[in-house]
Amino acid sequence: MSSPSLTLESPTPAAARKRRLLEILGALAIAGTYIYLVLNQPADITGGPGSASALIALSGFLAGAVLLIVAVLPTLPVSTLVLIPVALVLNIVLGQFVGSTLVPFYLDAIGTVLIAVLAGPAAGAATGALSSIVWSFFNPTVLPFAAGAALIGCVAGLAARYGLFRRFYLAPVAGFLAGIIGGVVSAPIAAFVFGGTSGLATGAIVSAFRSMGDTLLAAITKQALISDPMDKAIVFTLVAVLVYALPRRTRQQFPFVGRHRVLAGAGQSKGLPAGRTTVRSTVHSTGQDS
Amino acid sequence: MRLHPFTSLTAAGSTAVITTAAASLPLSLTVIAGAAFLAAAGGAGRRMAPAAAGILVPLVLSLFILHGLFFPEGTSVLAQWGPARVTAEGLRFALERTAQLSASVLVLLLCSFTISVPDLVAALSARGVHARFAFVLASTLTLLPAISTRLARIRQAQEARGLVITGGVFRRLAAFRWQAIPLVLSLVEEAGTRAAALEARGFGNSGARTSYREVPDPPLQRRLRPVLLLAAAAAIAVRLWQPTAGA
Repeated sequence: MSSPSLTLESPTPAAARKRRLLEILGALAIAGTYIYLVLNQPADITGGPGSASALIALSGFLAGAVLLIVAVLPTLPVSTLVLIPVALVLNIVLGQFVGSTLVPFYLDAIGTVLIAVLAGPAAGAATGALSSIVWSFFNPTVLPFAAGAALIGCVAGLAARYGLFRRFYLAPVAGFLAGIIGGVVSAPIAAFVFGGTSGLATGAIVSAFRSMGDTLLAAITKQALISDPMDKAIVFTLVAVLVYALPRRTRQQFPFVGRHRVLAGAGQSKGLPAGRTTVRSTVHSTGQDS
Repeated sequence: MRLHPFTSLTAAGSTAVITTAAASLPLSLTVIAGAAFLAAAGGAGRRMAPAAAGILVPLVLSLFILHGLFFPEGTSVLAQWGPARVTAEGLRFALERTAQLSASVLVLLLCSFTISVPDLVAALSARGVHARFAFVLASTLTLLPAISTRLARIRQAQEARGLVITGGVFRRLAAFRWQAIPLVLSLVEEAGTRAAALEARGFGNSGARTSYREVPDPPLQRRLRPVLLLAAAAAIAVRLWQPTAGA
């Protein structure tokens, strides 16, 4: 869609290297913070407010998320960039509704996963992180989960890249795996920053594990391992439904979809519910829009 | 006095960081009272109260149920029903966490409810922050109210066509499709149009930009911001130096 400009200078290799460095630094900050928190298992968490670990978790994860945004955002094509606000709105509208109700799910990643499937892992990670940061304008409690959201976007993009959205039944499996990763990374945040969870239903599950004598981090990790994989399996399924319902013309706006043959072509969409989308998802040749 | 958007962001952020780092109940309560007073005085209280309640009520209930009833580390038992034990330590932990989180949430909400989004966007692009971040922020904040009304309209239209949301998981999934697909389709379609329009105006190009909107930045506020940031950094440093000090 975008052609190289004839009057403006094109990005230099040095700028690309700098961005790659920022990406790696961001990933390292997130991974390093998680490893530090798990290895040290701060003992002060229930002895007093574990604020040293809360501060480390907050600053490490946030710095990583911001670095990822700074690295990825300038590289996205405009057609992807204008979709990010749409994704954010979908995350917020659906997540705000589910988050406080009596269901132990969040469903706050539909938009992120949608972008990841259409535009790839880097765009997915940036959308996840941006989503948390922009959403925190209405609900500051989602800000600390920016790193987890970025990870979900990245994993969803990788799943799409390696063809897990070509078969309808593989999407929930990919979601389940992404949920395990996301849940494990988000659990220390819930434990150290919030001292629990922010929802009622998830809180009830944590209470059940606490009553069996688990430590707070163990109880929250177990709750995350119950809620998150189910939640992400649902989200990935819903996104698969949505993506296959998009008209072919819309899907072709995204080079990532064509280049890696993310979606199934004709005759492979019979696993879809109600079969209404089979007409739309016709032949999909590779390289048509790169 | 009108605050520059960066000043209110810095002030809110540093206050949240300092409250978290200090972990002291009196300070958290002071910050809560201060935020409530400023919200009421600035006239944002009425809009802020429902938002704050929607976030804090589930959070506080969840914390008190979790730590009030189940706190295996607690020793002084106040009451006991089966596996649930109300301990003084658990209640104290829940209270401290509640105060600390409420303080941060209220301060940040106060900031986002009093900040002017056009000013923030103009200030962000003037400071060399990529125009793309400003676009994402402004676009999301303006899309959000429009989406809720559109979702309601789509539901009405589908209900007129015979959509009844009842029954099991598959029925609900079908109902989700009926409502989400028109919404996502129209949003993606509009985004495509916007992309073409933005591209035609050189949005994707790099380089300096000028803005019609000037956001005044008084020198006093310009000097105040580094001080606030230093204070927040100092609070973190003190906390990391003495991890067990304080409450």
